[in-house]
Amino acid sequence: MKSTDARLSYLLLAPALFILGSMALFPILVVIWLSLQRRLPIFNIATFVGVENYHFLVLDARFWNSLVNTLYFTTVSVVLELILGLAIAILLNRPFVARGWMRATLLIPWIIPTVVSARMWEWLYNVEFGILNYLLIIMGLSKEPLNWLGSPSWAIHAAIFMEVWKTTPFAAILFMAGLQTIPTELYHAARVDGATSWVVFRRITLPLLRPVILLVLLFRTLDAFRVFDAVYVLTGGGPANTTETLSIYTYKTLFQTLQFGYGSTLAVAMFGCVILISLVYLKLLGREYWRELAR
Amino acid sequence: MMRWSPFKKSSFLFLLFATVIFCVGPIVWQIVTSLKPDAELTLLPPILPEKPTLDHYVTVFREQPFSKIIVNSLVVASITTLLCLMIGSLASFALAWLDFKGKGVILGIALAISMFPPVAIVSPLYLIIQALDLRDTWWALVMTHTTFQLPLTLWILTSFFQEIPGEIYKAAQIDGCTPFQAFYKILLPLSAPGLSTAAILVFIFSWNEFLFALTFTTTEASRTIPVGIALFPGVHEVPYGDMAAASVIVILPVILVTLIFQRRIVEGLTAGAVKG
Amino acid sequence: MSHVFKLMIIAISSVIVSLWSCTSADRVSQDMQAVTVVFKHGKIAGDPNTFRMLLRRFESQNPGVRVKDETLPASTDQQHQFYVTSLQSHSSDFDVLSMDVIWVQEFARAGWVHDLSHMLSTQEQDQLFPGPVEAVTFEGKIFAIPWYIDAGLLYYRKDLLDKYGFGPPGTWQDLMATAQSILANEKDPQLKGFIWQGKQYEGLICNVLEYIWSAGGEVLDKNGKLILDRPQSSMALSFMRELIVQGISSSMVITADEEATRRVFGEGRAVFLRNWPYAWNLFEREGSRVQGKVGMAPLPSFRGFIPAATLGGWQLGINRYSRYPKEAEALIRFLTDQETQRWMAIEIGYKPTRKSLYKDKELLAAQPFVSQLYEVFLLARPRPVSPYYLMLSQVMQPEFSAALVGLKTPEEALRDAEFQMNYILFGRSEV
Repeated sequence: MKSTDARLSYLLLAPALFILGSMALFPILVVIWLSLQRRLPIFNIATFVGVENYHFLVLDARFWNSLVNTLYFTTVSVVLELILGLAIAILLNRPFVARGWMRATLLIPWIIPTVVSARMWEWLYNVEFGILNYLLIIMGLSKEPLNWLGSPSWAIHAAIFMEVWKTTPFAAILFMAGLQTIPTELYHAARVDGATSWVVFRRITLPLLRPVILLVLLFRTLDAFRVFDAVYVLTGGGPANTTETLSIYTYKTLFQTLQFGYGSTLAVAMFGCVILISLVYLKLLGREYWRELAR
Repeated sequence: MMRWSPFKKSSFLFLLFATVIFCVGPIVWQIVTSLKPDAELTLLPPILPEKPTLDHYVTVFREQPFSKIIVNSLVVASITTLLCLMIGSLASFALAWLDFKGKGVILGIALAISMFPPVAIVSPLYLIIQALDLRDTWWALVMTHTTFQLPLTLWILTSFFQEIPGEIYKAAQIDGCTPFQAFYKILLPLSAPGLSTAAILVFIFSWNEFLFALTFTTTEASRTIPVGIALFPGVHEVPYGDMAAASVIVILPVILVTLIFQRRIVEGLTAGAVKG
Repeated sequence: MSHVFKLMIIAISSVIVSLWSCTSADRVSQDMQAVTVVFKHGKIAGDPNTFRMLLRRFESQNPGVRVKDETLPASTDQQHQFYVTSLQSHSSDFDVLSMDVIWVQEFARAGWVHDLSHMLSTQEQDQLFPGPVEAVTFEGKIFAIPWYIDAGLLYYRKDLLDKYGFGPPGTWQDLMATAQSILANEKDPQLKGFIWQGKQYEGLICNVLEYIWSAGGEVLDKNGKLILDRPQSSMALSFMRELIVQGISSSMVITADEEATRRVFGEGRAVFLRNWPYAWNLFEREGSRVQGKVGMAPLPSFRGFIPAATLGGWQLGINRYSRYPKEAEALIRFLTDQETQRWMAIEIGYKPTRKSLYKDKELLAAQPFVSQLYEVFLLARPRPVSPYYLMLSQVMQPEFSAALVGLKTPEEALRDAEFQMNYILFGRSEV
């Protein structure tokens, strides 16, 4: 039984492994190899320097600055997305008349191409003509138009809000599907026992949602950590690099200064951080998950 | 619902309303912007256009063969979704229900692959696409999109497949089912929510993907929507009206597709109720 | 094991393998007789069909040669990224490319574009504006032919200046005084004195250099040595910061790019604007709030120095890996000759690089304001002409931005910038 299982498994996995191996693994290995070189194609420089780039990375103040910006961005947006996504999913969990429509509506921010939504928010945030400032002033919440993207303190939060708006549907959709797998009898039984909504939530919903929460946390953190478009279009990393995230720094190094060696090093560093984060998640939250998987 | 107090009912409606505004507000603003003639774009008040015009919509189709661009996006996104689901469900079937070594490793590596910054990979990938002579074709995008969405698909599907107890498979085998029959008749229907969810996420990712589309497509033969929209701005001018119109045109088919999948989720629910 | 199951696996695997080895299904098959030259460029202004008419004219003059034009997004960053990715892989996908004025040195150094010195004799070089010629010359050789030109200039509200008896300012201090006076008298809270592009991007460098140059400063001297951290640059940056601090330039300039400032001025909310020539047509268009009220002038300078304008514009080059360099040359010659440049100016609005056209009767009849631009373009200077320019720009952008926002003093910013730039130019080549 076990050996046929194994044979069947490898057969089933073959297409996936083939694609991932050839189209993904190979380029990644190339990038790792590049990170060990000093590579400036403009100057025809291509020499192997081992870990020299990594040594420089540790001393690079701009790297640490962008890392801090990225971590801040990631933490705040993921926490907001998690809470909002879960709240919306719970809100829409009960059957009601227009639920299908609501769910389709929910997806709208996610559907819009980032090139469009970034410009759209840029326009919304516009100091002179943006509707946000207009509404704020009309509602009396502010006397003067706010320079959303201009002050270092506001800019990153403006970008965070835009990111949260765009990706909360991702979390909500996963949570909704997850909520549906919880048998309603459990809720009924709890109610019969006299449990309040809050207790039901804490004791039944949350634990049973654990795998989905982990999934959402994992993928959202990884995506937020690699954020590029949202910030780049809004601020370009400025003013004075105060909103520069790791991916913006990597992009500029690779495609503006054309340093393919150090740029690859930055990419690998980003990759390393991301692996670290997921390991932490899996350790803290996924112990049973891992055990089940390893079986 | 009938047993709710008026307070509960009204706060529920309020929250619904707030959610709708949150999601749809900026879009409504896009629609309004798309109907404003250029001269009125920067005027506030009034919020609504005084002389609504369809000029921007005309421009969208006149400047580029936008219908071809939409078709390209549809084809690429659909094939990517199909491939991801087909390949992913087979693989996840194995990962969730079958017994073999190395599951953690495979999922881990798949995850690692999807985490790699695309910015850095674009150059080596370009070399591959060039070597395969696939520039400016649908396949270039289908292959790259599928590759980088497979990990998410694997994780989602494996997660949902695992919700369904493995004993069902064992029971089915005892009953004389082949693995394929078990896969087709039991697993797939029960995991409809997972499949639909993965389908929607993959489709939308492919629909919105920009970096690879910019690098691997050169003409309208394979250009997708994000690149098409990026072609609206001139060196200095940003035609917000035209771009708003283009984004409205682009959202509509996807909402339709989503509505279709939404019903599948509900069907999956009723099928899943049998499993208890 | 079910045969159907096995079949499914095999089917999927073979789909993948065949996708792997299949060639494109969507490519236009090439006529065996005609040569197709691929012209890659950023989005052309206006109706793309207008430009295509021009290309058809070339084809009729050159039987046997067809031109396929491929458009990239107008964003200069995205174009640069695309060219770097393809040229690094020695792509032969395109023959003629349109280059931003700041890339030519870099691409020339990398060996990605052909030497075109034989296309521009010294005599012919004199017919073009000096700025672009300097920008396309690398180690004494020409690597691109200037196609159309762009330069920064000052727009002002003629009606407001006339109302208070001012003329267009000749010095920066005059501009400041004029703006202050008008703002005080108009008492309009929405009116801004002077707006320009201060967002952290390439446009910021364009703006800052105009002040530094017009203070007699420079970034690199004739020998390529860094002379950025000098009192002239410091004074220039301090002046810019003063503009913001004094409220003459509202703090929105910190996040503003060309369009943001163009719209503000176009709504009548600013007295002075620094921008590129493209804005003129938009201001004079039907329905524009400032139609007929706008004047153009060269940028001011600091007292005792010559004004300066940052050079923009695009140049045509030939991909080193092109299969049809001869035909590509013919296309470039066509696109940069007198008739074509006149036609482009009238139909598309791209300003010619040939000086003689600024006295051309036909062009002046169609666009009289072009004569004012002649002086501006003569003053146009390229940004530091060096293959390292993009790296230098990446260092200068955040430093200048920090000085404008007040995070650093101008002296600190310049010192830090020069330190990093020295490292790039003379220390290790990799930062």
